[in-house]
Amino acid sequence: MKFIVQRQQLISSVQDVMKAISSRTAIPILTGMKIEANANGIILTGSDSDITIESFIPAEEDGMINVEQIEEGSVVLQARYFPDIVRKLPDNTVEIESDENFNITIKSGKAQFNLNGQDANEYPHLPNLQAENSFDIQSDLLKDLIKQTGFAVSAMETRPILTGVNITIENETLHFTATDSHRLASRRVPLEGVTSDSSNIVVPGKSLNELNKILDDTGEKVEISVMNNQILFRTKYLHFLSRLLDGNYPETSRLIPDQSQTVLHVRTKELINTIDRASLLAKEERNNVVKLTTKDNQLLQITSNSPEVGQVAEEISVQSLEGENLKISFSSKYMLDALKVIENDEVIIKFTGAMRPFVIQPADDDAILQLILPVRTY
Amino acid sequence: MEVFQMPDALANKIAAGEVVERPASVVKELIENSIDANSSWIRVEAVEAGLQSIKVIDNGNGMSETDAEKAFLRHATSKIKDETDLFRVNTLGFRGEALASIAAVSRLTVKTSQGDSAGTFLSIEGGVITDRTKSDARKGTEIVVDDLFFNTPARLKYMKTIHTELGHITDLLNRLALSHPSIRFEVVHNGKPLFNTAGTGDLLQVISQVYGMSVARKMIPVKHETLDFSIEGYIAKPEVTRASRNYISTMVNGRYIKSMQLSQAIIRGYHTLLTVGRSPIVVLSIDMDPVLVDVNVHPTKLEVRFSKDKALAAAIEDMIHGAFRSTSLIPEMEPKQPAPEKQTVQNTLTFDEPERETRSWPVEQHVSEFKPEFRSSMTEQNLTGSYSEKTTDDLPDIDSIGTTASDTYRSMEESDDAPRVPVMYPIGQLHGTYILAQNEAGFYMIDQHAAQERIKFERFRRKLGHTTNEVQELLIPLTFDFSKQESIFIDHHMEDLANVGLFFEPFGNQTYIIRSHPNWFPNGYEEEVIREMINQIVQDEKVDVQAIREDAAALMSCKRSIKANHHLNQEDMFKLLEGLRNTADPFTCPHGRPIMIHFSSYELEKMFKRVM
Repeated sequence: MKFIVQRQQLISSVQDVMKAISSRTAIPILTGMKIEANANGIILTGSDSDITIESFIPAEEDGMINVEQIEEGSVVLQARYFPDIVRKLPDNTVEIESDENFNITIKSGKAQFNLNGQDANEYPHLPNLQAENSFDIQSDLLKDLIKQTGFAVSAMETRPILTGVNITIENETLHFTATDSHRLASRRVPLEGVTSDSSNIVVPGKSLNELNKILDDTGEKVEISVMNNQILFRTKYLHFLSRLLDGNYPETSRLIPDQSQTVLHVRTKELINTIDRASLLAKEERNNVVKLTTKDNQLLQITSNSPEVGQVAEEISVQSLEGENLKISFSSKYMLDALKVIENDEVIIKFTGAMRPFVIQPADDDAILQLILPVRTY
Repeated sequence: MEVFQMPDALANKIAAGEVVERPASVVKELIENSIDANSSWIRVEAVEAGLQSIKVIDNGNGMSETDAEKAFLRHATSKIKDETDLFRVNTLGFRGEALASIAAVSRLTVKTSQGDSAGTFLSIEGGVITDRTKSDARKGTEIVVDDLFFNTPARLKYMKTIHTELGHITDLLNRLALSHPSIRFEVVHNGKPLFNTAGTGDLLQVISQVYGMSVARKMIPVKHETLDFSIEGYIAKPEVTRASRNYISTMVNGRYIKSMQLSQAIIRGYHTLLTVGRSPIVVLSIDMDPVLVDVNVHPTKLEVRFSKDKALAAAIEDMIHGAFRSTSLIPEMEPKQPAPEKQTVQNTLTFDEPERETRSWPVEQHVSEFKPEFRSSMTEQNLTGSYSEKTTDDLPDIDSIGTTASDTYRSMEESDDAPRVPVMYPIGQLHGTYILAQNEAGFYMIDQHAAQERIKFERFRRKLGHTTNEVQELLIPLTFDFSKQESIFIDHHMEDLANVGLFFEPFGNQTYIIRSHPNWFPNGYEEEVIREMINQIVQDEKVDVQAIREDAAALMSCKRSIKANHHLNQEDMFKLLEGLRNTADPFTCPHGRPIMIHFSSYELEKMFKRVM
């Protein structure tokens, strides 16, 4: 195998693929990166058996030559050193060559690295996904969906199913839901031209967060297909494959209250800043608990009290306050997480008493929903 | 297949499989018989770790001619008569199986006499009496077991090396000696003396025989009495530890037993004083009404069942905890050289002439009078003379170990109001890591990190123990499946659990639902903490939040304490030492490492050869 590649192209591909490579794997060869060259270009592959990422560098694109002097072949090289080597090489092009003993030579300018590689035939074969059950979505929308729900997955493997984001398609609507059972985040988007009926899968939150990191914000098309416990996200030059979580995701729709006793309209930024300040004292001793109290004259009071540290109180005016007066305690961390992903100047918060879950939504969009469970005193 | 009842010889061989596992079992059974026969002297002679020959001689009651023959029948015993006796067994043996079993698998001779007329001599081979004559009339019994397992080649094949078998015998004799300090044991192996005890009834002396002088010096006497139990024994200071729990010996009514529950209670008593994975050396003798303990659990009688196990465990835990609360545990720096004056002390003490002794160490007495409550153990030894006038009556007066023990007794009595760590004045800092300090009693080195860790640990532990009564609601309730036993405890302790913020809703058979959890639960570990609490309930019948959050407190205190390589000025050091003085356990950090080391003035002088 041999080729000469533009260094910038190589750097960005390597960075994407590295997201899937872990230095601790059960199968040793997975600590390496597979490089395959054919007439169309080169393919880099990385995998930790949960996630597999393939990045393709076309030989020629829009009249630009990216890869030249291609001799077909493939090899696995040690991923631990490769990204740094590529980044620090002196010239704009990189020549990579491997011989039949898997000795790899990397040349750029006057620098030359000789690395020991491994046989690409020993690299696990990746499942060949037939895209029969697929739909398209714009990458920026997908990134938003991940951002607005992915943070709410559970970090603990004690209830494995909750470490994933539940993705459902029903009635031409795509629905993302995540919960760690202390809070829940969900968003619906309409979906056109879906070929399949309904589907219901759970994708590991970790996979989606990695995907979010390597997707561009450009609005290019992402094709999503689901097959046998795997999900494939495909853009023009990138394949991102993740395992799915086994098991039934809890039915969450009935957990969301449909009535409310107190409804607030608040400016998002102001509320974030106020709660952030109140939480300064609540971090350690109080496990982030702050208290919200409704006042007359369209005012809210946010307080926090830590006996050993001190207390803080701040009033904040609201756009409107309807319904009964209320005193409620909650975790400022969950509240801030939820408020920060709502990209709207104003939010509506609907309470159903101090003991019941409450709902936060952007003022003009009920497709996004954040639900938080209160802290109560017994 | 036809069913028939086994002949006695066969049944005995089968029973022997349980009772006579190895030569050590023979030794055990024979010695226990001697003990039950009120012997005050027992001599054991073994050849080739007992595989060739075991001889046990005692000066006990002996047997009459008819009894001697009956004793080798199966289920023959003089120790219990009817079922009621079974529940108040005062003797070590009672099953009536041992002699028959041993006789079935060996060539055995017995010579016994009650001392008033001619004795009996019997020779038994594989369970059959082959010879029977008169013998001399020395009061007591002598049993010789030759060629053990000669007729059970399978068992013989599984015997380990001589060393292993001898190890088992020694281990066993150690324990028997510890359980019976008033019996004089003489043990000879292949003609060489192996082990002797004096039989004076002083447990500490036996400990020094078994574990060595240096360990015996570090033992603290403990004593505790409740309505049901009377516990007495010695526990080692936390500086002396071993890697295995084998060094914990518990005796119940003179019987050595193995009990997880008791060992755990002992280790809990030591609490944070031990480093992870280390066990203490402990010898505890527990006396209770035989009705409260069932020894008829296993033929080897190593395991027993207690009727009031929880109360006993709690008593032991409290006792040990209390003992450390009131003793100074600063490890003393010991000079490497053998100290000749110890010998002198021993001699003078044996003569029991205290006045002369105190005069011979005028310097020491001066030092100690200066600040009497903080004498080092060395000076105390020399000092005991002046105290012994008052105390000799109730103190064992044999040797220096005895005096160490008496010192500790005394310091325990004194310590109620006196702080356990003396005021220390910082001299300076070493390597940015250790504080050097002094006072009248000598020189101290203190690990600054460990010291602050201990101070903070005690504060955080208290703080974390007081939780707010807030619970975090759960969107998707947690479901728990418990065992039947656990669920009984949960139902019984519903209220205790609710008090700490756990509301268990029964959800069918042994399943419970939790809809909210206390707010302090570490995020993501809710299930683990709940399971831990249920374990607590099952074990101790109470929920102790402080204990559950102890790890968290230890971690917090470690992270927030000054580390090594951190400069401290005089003021800082003084404050730190004062803080340490006020802690409940100023001697070890939460992980069990020592906080300070003490060099007494006397030791310093000795190191510089100012005194000899």
